[in-house]
Amino acid sequence: MSEKVEVLKTKEMQELEAKMTMLIQTGRIDNLIDLMALISDNIEMTTSPMVEKMIHTVDNLASAGFITDNAVRYAKRETAKNEVPSLFGILKLMGDEDTRKGLSFMLNLTKGIGKQL
Amino acid sequence: MKKKILIVGGGTAGTMTANNLAKKLMPEIDRDELEITLISNSKYHYYKPGAMYVAFGKSEGYEFVRDQRALLMSEINFEVEEATEISTNGNFVKTKKGKKFDYDFLVLATGCEVAPERIPGLSEAGDWFYTYEGATKLAKKFHDIKKGRVLVTVNFPKTPNIPHQCGIAPVETTMMLHDFLTERGVRDDIEIIYTYPTVAQSVTNGLFMQEPTSNVLPSIFDSLGVKHQSGFTLSKVDAKKKVAISAEGEEIEFDILMSTPPFTATKFIRESGISQALDDEGWLPTDKETLKVKGLDNVYTLGDTVDLPVSKAGGTVHNQTDVVADNIASELRHGYTSESYDGLVIAIAQMGLSCGMPLWYNYDKDVAPTPCSKLGSFVRKGFNKGIYWAAARGMV
Ligand SMILES: Cc1cc2nc3c(=O)[nH]c(=O)nc-3n(C[C@H](O)[C@H](O)[C@H](O)COP(=O)(O)OP(=O)(O)OC[C@H]3O[C@@H](n4cnc5c(N)ncnc54)[C@H](O)[C@@H]3O)c2cc1C
Repeated sequence: MSEKVEVLKTKEMQELEAKMTMLIQTGRIDNLIDLMALISDNIEMTTSPMVEKMIHTVDNLASAGFITDNAVRYAKRETAKNEVPSLFGILKLMGDEDTRKGLSFMLNLTKGIGKQL
Repeated sequence: MKKKILIVGGGTAGTMTANNLAKKLMPEIDRDELEITLISNSKYHYYKPGAMYVAFGKSEGYEFVRDQRALLMSEINFEVEEATEISTNGNFVKTKKGKKFDYDFLVLATGCEVAPERIPGLSEAGDWFYTYEGATKLAKKFHDIKKGRVLVTVNFPKTPNIPHQCGIAPVETTMMLHDFLTERGVRDDIEIIYTYPTVAQSVTNGLFMQEPTSNVLPSIFDSLGVKHQSGFTLSKVDAKKKVAISAEGEEIEFDILMSTPPFTATKFIRESGISQALDDEGWLPTDKETLKVKGLDNVYTLGDTVDLPVSKAGGTVHNQTDVVADNIASELRHGYTSESYDGLVIAIAQMGLSCGMPLWYNYDKDVAPTPCSKLGSFVRKGFNKGIYWAAARGMV
């Protein structure tokens, strides 16, 4: 004599089953499983040093973006505020310490690029 | 007349708020109607959670230090000055070098500091990872220990319902210690005992300051072979005998005492006369929604120096800073505040050396423990080593 076994499902299990059924019927479940496997493999293969190097690159880009953003805003504001300087005016600007700091940075940057060419 | 916003403290809260304010108030800055000044007593900015990794030899420390100026938008005036005095009637702050900074709006963001001297014997015999110096000392001890006992103790402020700095840090470091000693191959010979005080913010006789986490911790610690005990409120340390003594009358011997020491607000705030916190702890009376200092209409505060019942953590500051910046911008433009802080804290806890647990909560909802994962640990480490600097600059 066989006995019928009834499995009691929680409300959550029933809801999950309904959602899964839809995914299976529409053939999408295989794609999702592929995607999950891909993500999972990537997590398994990634190491802490890899993450640190990646983040270092992101940080460098963000820092460069921040510096450029600040400098461009400043230059725009100053340019709008003042008249286009005469040749003498430009020489006067060169007397300013921040201008010279920026200029020497730009020249060293040019040199740094030159070194790689 | 040009309006002046003054921010005191160049840590997580001061830096984020200065940048967020500059972004929000750019039209006023462009019209030369507003000036933002930040003063800090250090030329450098420290990413404080980095110290935890230093304690386990996983970082040197220099990666977590940057020039403060480099983290601020160029519109913000920055001066290295130590604030010593505040006049809320005269609307100015005075510094050690004798300089006077006037303000229309003031943001107090000087954080908190360790005060181990408040427990007899702790300064001599205890160790903590809440400063880089302490973490470096601890790293050497953890590297050398071959057998014995590491005792973890946690201390809470005397002012009711206020947490110590970074609520989850003692749990994080206990698990990191387990992994570190396992990596070194000496875990079997070293006993780790995690203790928690009887009264911990709103929880009594637990292992954590919030009930749901407190309830799951015993099974987590058991699975790691970490002994745990509640009801141990450190009150004295016998430095010679290396014995920790609790207010409940118990004594535990140790080889290393990894302690979360007492914390207070900084000296400047404690001596400002604004706080009425118990035991001269100095926490600023803070309106939980506007983040204004209670009773002072043009003074805001955020971060570790507040008396709110939320974690003293960067993940708290990240949510508070937008409220402060929005409210100041709105007050300047319209004369009223526009935002309200709901107590939101978002963070990823480092549960062991390679497992990260995302967590979030607010005034109404406690942290719901979630599973920790390798991916979570990557996000946490990525935040430590890079994303933090973008967050401090107000980029994320
Ligand atoms: C070991 C450790 C682990 C942590 N882990 C986490 C974590 O996992 N997640 C998380 O979200 N948070 C964590 N935190 C907490 C986080 O670092 C702090 O909550 C955050 O730094 C608070 O920001 P703050 O600006 O209020 O204070 P701080 O960052 O401490 O900044 C205070 C600033 O004020 C300056 N200052 C002090 N006094 C004066 C004065 N008189 N005049 C002028 N300037 C002054 C200081 O130089 C400093 O720049 C951790 C902290 C530690 C120590």
